[in-house]
Amino acid sequence: MHALKLIQTFLKVNLQIALAYRVDTLVNILINLMWLGVELIGLQIIFSNTDRLAGWGPGELVSLLGVFRLVNMLMASVIWPATEKFNTSVRDGTLDYTLIQPANSLFLVSFSRIIVWRVWDLALAIGLVVVGMRMSARDLASLTGEVASITSLASLAGFLVLVASGALVLYSLWVVLIALTFWFVKFDNNVTILQALLDSGRYPATVYPPWLRIIITYLVPIALATTIPMQGLRGDLSALQVFVFMGVGLASFLVALRVWKAGVRQYSGASS
Amino acid sequence: MLRIYYRFWQVNWYEQWQYRANLLMYLAYWLVSPVVYLAVWTTIARSQGSVGGLTANDFVTYYLTLLIADTLTSDITVHLLAYKIQDGTLSSELLRPVHPILTNTLVNNIAFKALVFMVLVPIWLVLVLLFQPDYSMVTIQSILPAVPALMLGFGINFLLGATLTCLAFWTTRVYSITEFYFALAILFSGQFVPLQLMPPLIQRLAAYLPFQFYIYFPVSLILGRVPPETIAWKFALGLAWLAVAYALFRLIWREGLKRFSSVGA
Repeated sequence: MHALKLIQTFLKVNLQIALAYRVDTLVNILINLMWLGVELIGLQIIFSNTDRLAGWGPGELVSLLGVFRLVNMLMASVIWPATEKFNTSVRDGTLDYTLIQPANSLFLVSFSRIIVWRVWDLALAIGLVVVGMRMSARDLASLTGEVASITSLASLAGFLVLVASGALVLYSLWVVLIALTFWFVKFDNNVTILQALLDSGRYPATVYPPWLRIIITYLVPIALATTIPMQGLRGDLSALQVFVFMGVGLASFLVALRVWKAGVRQYSGASS
Repeated sequence: MLRIYYRFWQVNWYEQWQYRANLLMYLAYWLVSPVVYLAVWTTIARSQGSVGGLTANDFVTYYLTLLIADTLTSDITVHLLAYKIQDGTLSSELLRPVHPILTNTLVNNIAFKALVFMVLVPIWLVLVLLFQPDYSMVTIQSILPAVPALMLGFGINFLLGATLTCLAFWTTRVYSITEFYFALAILFSGQFVPLQLMPPLIQRLAAYLPFQFYIYFPVSLILGRVPPETIAWKFALGLAWLAVAYALFRLIWREGLKRFSSVGA
């Protein structure tokens, strides 16, 4: 497969870049762990003052933190570096050389620069989700007095589908935002709103006042990739709802592709 | 001397004014987490009446006041200075007959702050409309002592920030060090949660550390929550930290400059 081979090459190149700065990579991982510590202390303080946050127990918030870090990792390892490279390439015209390459331009723009060490966050995020689920199961067992199964296979599958479609929606929003640069060249703060609101994914969207909840559900749908998958895992969502969210993910991706194509047609180049 | 500061102010004000578009970006980024914490804690307070004696309104007023205090005491020295040390452009500033950090960098910090504050005020008013806080406990008598407290907080933050930034004379990884400092500040300044809700150990440490002057102490003063008998000793502690920070800065600056002249030129 062409795309897989390209991804493989991108990973190899980026791994070489990372290996040139070994100590920095190590320091970055340590700082990452430190922030995880701060986040866990935060949860500890919250739950030493209350049993539940808007109906969510400590285990569920640990899992949510895992999902949040997963989304955050995708952003930090792929999306932000790609944005930086893209914005520069529109301004100085090097985008022309990307467009004439014999591969999908959106694919090249999205995945040619990957911060490899962030992959470490992936393991950490999955770990948090699993640990959180076990904590919730234990809580439940101590409440009802019987050993509850952690979660059903169906809700686990639903969770994975929801994470994927949530990530797809965010990716599509990003594609639209950077494609706007084709029309408005000076629009290089294009992803700020996404970056700024990302932090709200750390806690369940149900905690926020209505105006903020509307923003992060419909306008900049961070919640779609964080809160909603967790609700799926808790078994709050019906199968139909899961399918709807899947449809939303695919539909937004198709829209984003059209906007991207229109943008590329609009682009007149800056290098010559 | 005043005229020198005035000239620096003019230059830095216009310099910051150029980047006003980036400013909105910075504000959006920086506003989100206090609003998130506000939402989290008011949700808890509403569900059980109060948390550790604090009602939902106490949290709303705390975080809304925090937005103002944080702007006023924050310090961006690492972004203004670290790259100049690393690429050597500091040399041109060293030629001037005044201390570059205590004039140029300081005034640039304040110019940035003034600009951020101008943009913050309308946003803050919108947040007040949205959250409807009851600010009846704030009086002139509670705001007046907060003014020197905020200046003290900024003074300490600026000098400690400058001290850490000067580590750039020795290492290229100064941004990692300041990130560690930011994490400590989040925990111990009251940025995350009013300190009285922290675990006892952190509270006891925080009572002696300088971070409380960035947020918790001035905010509590404005809200009239500091017991009158402790105000004087807190100010004394703050002044002591200011002196320590100044001494540290002087020391590291002198030693750093020696290194700079030996490798920079």
